[in-house]
Amino acid sequence: MSIRTVLTYALLAVASIVVAFPLLLALSYSFMSESEIATFPPPLLTTRPTLDNYAGVLDTIPIGRYLLNSFVVSTAVVFGQLITASLAAYAFSFLAFRGRQLLFFVFLSTLMIPWEATIIPNYITIRTIGWLDTYQGLAVPFMATAFGTFLLRQAFLQIPRELWDAARIDGASSLRFFVSTVIPLSRPILGTVAIYGFLSTYNQYFWPLLITNQTLMRTTQVGIAQLRFEETLRFGLVMAGVIMVAVPTLALLVLGQRQLVRGLTAGAVKG
Amino acid sequence: MEGKMRRLATLALAFTMVSAACGGLTPGGGSDSSALAPAKDVAPAATITWWHAMSGVNGDALNKIVAGFNSSQSKIKVETVFQGNYDDLLAKLNTAIASNAAPALVQVYDIGQRYMYDTAQVVPMQAFIDRDKFNTNDFEPAVINYYKYQDKLQSMPFNASTPMLYYNKDAFKEAGLDASKPPVTFTEIAEAAKKLTKKDASGATVRFGFGPSIYGWLFEQLMATSGALYADNGNGRDNRATKVVYNSAAGKAILDWWKAGVDGGYFFNPGIDNDGAANAFNAQKTAMYIESTARLRGHITTIAGKFELGTGLYPRPDSKPKEGGNIIGGASLYIMKSRPPAEQQAAWEFVKYAMTPAVQAQWQSDTGYYPIVKAAYDQGPSKEWSTKYPQFLTAITAIRESPQNRMTNGAVLGVMPQARQRTQKMIESVLLGQATSQVALDAAVTEMNAAIDKYNKANP
Amino acid sequence: MGWTSRDARSFGIGLAYLAPSLVLFAAFVFIPLAQSIYLSFFNTRSTGAITTFAGLDHYLELLTSPAFRSGLVATTLFAAYTVPIGIALGLVLAVLLNQRLRAINVFRTMMSSTIAISAAVGALIWLLLLNPSLGLLNYILSLVGVRGPEWLIQPTTAIIAVSLTTIWLTLGTNIIVLLAGLQGVPEEIYEAARLDGARGVRMFTRITVPMVSPSLFFLLVVDTIAVLQAFTQIHLLTRGGPVDATRVLVYSIYQDAFQNFQFGYASAQAVILLVLVMALTLVQFRFVERRVHYQ
Repeated sequence: MSIRTVLTYALLAVASIVVAFPLLLALSYSFMSESEIATFPPPLLTTRPTLDNYAGVLDTIPIGRYLLNSFVVSTAVVFGQLITASLAAYAFSFLAFRGRQLLFFVFLSTLMIPWEATIIPNYITIRTIGWLDTYQGLAVPFMATAFGTFLLRQAFLQIPRELWDAARIDGASSLRFFVSTVIPLSRPILGTVAIYGFLSTYNQYFWPLLITNQTLMRTTQVGIAQLRFEETLRFGLVMAGVIMVAVPTLALLVLGQRQLVRGLTAGAVKG
Repeated sequence: MEGKMRRLATLALAFTMVSAACGGLTPGGGSDSSALAPAKDVAPAATITWWHAMSGVNGDALNKIVAGFNSSQSKIKVETVFQGNYDDLLAKLNTAIASNAAPALVQVYDIGQRYMYDTAQVVPMQAFIDRDKFNTNDFEPAVINYYKYQDKLQSMPFNASTPMLYYNKDAFKEAGLDASKPPVTFTEIAEAAKKLTKKDASGATVRFGFGPSIYGWLFEQLMATSGALYADNGNGRDNRATKVVYNSAAGKAILDWWKAGVDGGYFFNPGIDNDGAANAFNAQKTAMYIESTARLRGHITTIAGKFELGTGLYPRPDSKPKEGGNIIGGASLYIMKSRPPAEQQAAWEFVKYAMTPAVQAQWQSDTGYYPIVKAAYDQGPSKEWSTKYPQFLTAITAIRESPQNRMTNGAVLGVMPQARQRTQKMIESVLLGQATSQVALDAAVTEMNAAIDKYNKANP
Repeated sequence: MGWTSRDARSFGIGLAYLAPSLVLFAAFVFIPLAQSIYLSFFNTRSTGAITTFAGLDHYLELLTSPAFRSGLVATTLFAAYTVPIGIALGLVLAVLLNQRLRAINVFRTMMSSTIAISAAVGALIWLLLLNPSLGLLNYILSLVGVRGPEWLIQPTTAIIAVSLTTIWLTLGTNIIVLLAGLQGVPEEIYEAARLDGARGVRMFTRITVPMVSPSLFFLLVVDTIAVLQAFTQIHLLTRGGPVDATRVLVYSIYQDAFQNFQFGYASAQAVILLVLVMALTLVQFRFVERRVHYQ
């Protein structure tokens, strides 16, 4: 190895540790007893690792059920988004019709609307149709995505027009071309949209807090906040909860990191 | 296709507008007009839901009461739902009320009292008490007085607490102070705090004498121990309050004392973070602080063995005003009007159960809240608890010795949560040196009076 | 510009593909938004029921309110601290990560890990780091001889603390997007530049930055919108304090709607926030996008 390579690795290692430091710290603290955390100077690693905090989390909140709920909801949102966004992106990239630009802007404008401006009417809607405390209530409002549509449209625009022309000469319908050509060619970007949709749904806090009244319908982020309401803030317990909730998404990232980059590289964020 | 879409959109719009309009409720201020059917005519519902804000040890204790009730009879099942802290719970309740999704029984914090009254969505507890001639003679007067509005109980007090002084006896001994005599007046606390403050070689403070968090409730309590009013019209109890009046000499004295302590380096400022203040006390970064009796149990467990914990009366001005005392804090139970009478009846059955001396004594020993019913003190668990944790007796003394008047009954304001936020901002601005005490007080009062005016107009 | 039957037909087909998204957007974004705008012209009871017509009262009150003005200042500061630093840091790290090295994916995953972390989780961890009595951040600073501030107590440092947390939270996304941008740059361009003698900083400013400018612009727009809507970390770290230093617009909307129950007033602020976001986005497209180099 050249000196240059060694230096590069050293730089990478230092930068990685600094960026991941808060997470590593959370991991370390989750194995510490409360009295060890309270000592000064603050310890980096525990001398007496304990699983008490994890046991405490399992005792305090039904974390297994919360994880299940988050998975069901996030997966449902991902499938919903893939369907709605790919259909819309297809219209925005392959179909020519009047008002297309305007409608595309309408889509993008949804990105700019702060959630506070819509959350109370949305609550009333969900409650009127009887969706409080249901998976539908948690998932359906998020099944359309302007961001995902935008990414997919950019990717679809990279698909050679010749394929489209050839398909039309063969008499294929637009729906057929969409299903048999566009979708298979766009797997990487669909994966990116799926990962992104999963992460953002899984990490939601306020909406699930608002529309779930039963303990059994709560999601992970709400559960974590519940740990904070202990009469004295117990950092060890909270950090154990943090780790339990973050592990699934971190695992998804480990598996999907290359996918994310590749999906976005395909010209997705270019003009 | 286009026409269909437009029809669909119009339909959706109309649908949502209508539902929003229906979400709004019939106006009307007073809520004691409801005449209840005789108890014998109402069969209680089989299941009711209770929203609460108790977590950790206190949440376990609450569920224990419910389990006891559910197994004590076979007709009614109470289901509990934890809805986050008091603020979160009220926010959820408000959204639920607007769309008729409120449960039969709700635990709401002390300062939500006027708000609950103004929603007109509550069946006053007094209606049940009067109908069944339920005896409240044995209830703790300070508690019952807090929750009475115009001589009627709107809700049933459930968990009651007051703030007190927590101090580190070991630190007292180390500083040459009498560990059996905690300071009470502003000057005594300042003097003790100076002696308790410890610096290391580099001049950095390793221990502060006193470290109260910037918590609006503590300011309200300091006004009460100063024997001063927080709001006009008898703290909003003789008539609906139209102004806050804490920009008085009493309010200024509190801020000046606090500011001098922080500037002098013997008071620690943990910010608005109550947990931070408790953590600092546990970690011996502060030697004294003020907090609710409800934290006693938590402190005893965390401190265990590290140092000896003492408790004392809540701070008050040097003159120790005779009409001053502590206000009861905590929360109470409301029965909601929007649920059918059968559910209200079931909720009332549960409330009666929760008020029995045995349950109250258990609740006290599990949590650190006061019993609402005095007879509870004669029960086993309560006696054991007081012997084991004599620190708790301070709290009982504080509330028993508080004179009962408008000042110690506490303020009732529709905008009380907002008023609390505003006093916190006021204290911060003084401690950070952004404004002098009188300027900060006046600014807060002016802003709050506008908010009260707005609230009173919007909720006639 | 009349519509032929062919126009109508193609429009119908296009709309059919858009319908699932449009129905959802209508139901959960546009109609609720219309209701909020409507609500901003009315007074409400604390339960949310409309009482009287307020006209422009809420808007006029906001214009003269010092609290609202300080909220705008806090929002501007927050965005100014968070967005440029977050993107710059992301770019430096992405360049570092854009190398063909053994095990590079380990470093890529570690550095982009915050994309998987929710604001709630991130804020709880930073609450621990910044804690005045137990916090590690000040302890680490003290090791290098710096006396750390009381992060969440002082107004000037509280906004920095919240910004730090937010930069950390968005770093993962920034790195991923920029890494993708860098990987899309053809190797020949670097080769050509190298032949012209470009190295190091010059290569970075003359070649790398222009080549990833579409990604940088994309992040500028997306991060600005995200920062203007950030709520959870502020709620868990400072609750808008001290003395309103971190009470950004989104947080005051939350307090007025969900704590003070003034829905009309809160709605008016939400409308102003929306206008602000839209205006900023338009400005970015109008003035910044010109400097973006598209391939």
